[in-house]
Amino acid sequence: MDVLAASRCPRCRRIVAPPARLCPDHPVAMEPYQVSAVGEVVSFTTLHSPPEGFRSPLHIAIVELEGGARLFCHGEETRGVKIGSHVSVEDVNSVFYFSHMGFADRARLFWRRAGYRGEKVAAIGKSFVKGFLKGMPGGQD
Amino acid sequence: MDVWIAGAGMTRFGKRDVALLDLMAEAALAALADASIETPDAIMVAAMNPEEFTGEGNYGSLVGTYLGLSHVPALRVETATSSGMAAVYAGFASLAAGLHRSVLVVGGEKMTQLPTPRVSEIIGRSIDPHERSYGSTMPALAGLITRAAMHERGFVLREISQVAVKNHAHGARNPYAHFQGPVTLEAVMESRVVADPLRLLHCCPISDGAAALVLTTEPASVRIAGIGQGTDSIAVRYRPELTSFRATQAAAEAAYRMAGFGPERVEVAELHDAFAPFELISLEDTGLVPSGKAGRATLDGETAVGGRLPVNPSGGLKARGHPLAATGIAQLVELVWQLRGRAEGRQVPARVALAQSIGGLASNNWVTLLEARR
Repeated sequence: MDVLAASRCPRCRRIVAPPARLCPDHPVAMEPYQVSAVGEVVSFTTLHSPPEGFRSPLHIAIVELEGGARLFCHGEETRGVKIGSHVSVEDVNSVFYFSHMGFADRARLFWRRAGYRGEKVAAIGKSFVKGFLKGMPGGQD
Repeated sequence: MDVWIAGAGMTRFGKRDVALLDLMAEAALAALADASIETPDAIMVAAMNPEEFTGEGNYGSLVGTYLGLSHVPALRVETATSSGMAAVYAGFASLAAGLHRSVLVVGGEKMTQLPTPRVSEIIGRSIDPHERSYGSTMPALAGLITRAAMHERGFVLREISQVAVKNHAHGARNPYAHFQGPVTLEAVMESRVVADPLRLLHCCPISDGAAALVLTTEPASVRIAGIGQGTDSIAVRYRPELTSFRATQAAAEAAYRMAGFGPERVEVAELHDAFAPFELISLEDTGLVPSGKAGRATLDGETAVGGRLPVNPSGGLKARGHPLAATGIAQLVELVWQLRGRAEGRQVPARVALAQSIGGLASNNWVTLLEARR
């Protein structure tokens, strides 16, 4: 599974990515840490007149990774994306990009995790149900 | 020691073909005349980005000298878009500490001479550099917060848009406001998308202007009953909550504690509606409206002039305009006029008033409580 470089506070266990020198909540040096590159969309927006140096339309999302670290990300599109959508995050030259995970991606992910934990059958069932619910067509948030 | 507001003055906000120093002088001289004070003991100057907007720096000395007060101690205060109220705090603190007996607080900004993308870039420097490297502007961050608030808190576009409609209607009754005309709900909801789901008429304009207060230890008509600062991470990604502002909540708590009363005594408010949904968030963050009720209260007209709790009778940032460092002071100027019964055309009955100012994307906020003298 892809991982992203992060940092963790030895005092409060808070995780941030990209890594920071000091914890945002304490003047304490953070330790290097890694987080898996999948998460949920916290919010997203599209700019039609972005600042100089950016292509229009510019999609920006805040994605929360497992462990609670939140990232700013760019995306190719936001069609079908909702708050709570599962996305994978890729680090391209120190810039994060999110992509919407389709049903197959999510199933693969759950399969892989389940394989690691040896709980394949339960996870496949869960992934199928979750995927089915998330995949249902819905209105705009 | 109690601190009083003895004088208030401001320029008309809008596109002004007048230098920043002249705008500040106009506001300062009006406030000093209102207080019948020729020479204050100190000057607090608020300006957010005068170096970039006007090419001039050393603004404390510049303003002091321009006003013929070069012998009066002057300093500049900056907390991004809430710099004006930060300067009021600095003035308040110096009086409460017994350092001075009167302080002139003056703030202003001159922006409309620059093209909009350049203004947006300069204001955007108050955003966390990492988040800015993703193309985040103030409207972009406000768009992210608005979508999350619609999802989590159930704000709907109609309620958000009604804030703009109300504040334009108020601005139309304020001769100092940037916008002098009303807008319809349809016009707001159909205006161009700036940062989805935020539309152009949900956003405050780019304005020029200045505002000033004279604070004294000598009792005057209005007392500063409480003033508080609240802060949060400049990085929005470090905040566990996107849809309420910890900085406002902390500032309000500090101001209420100092005043010795709570939101139930507030009868009129000026809130930082740089983006229309921020008025709804701020209404709840300051405790003026119970959690989850701000949208309904707005649609029901409770927050309009004539309603239970008039909010932004001046027109707010949305219609009065937002010359950055002038704004926090202009909010208090409006409330002083309201408490003195001198807000012609938009007067509301009130003895206690609240102003809230947001600095940056809510990283450095202020709440001030005013009370009319008994």
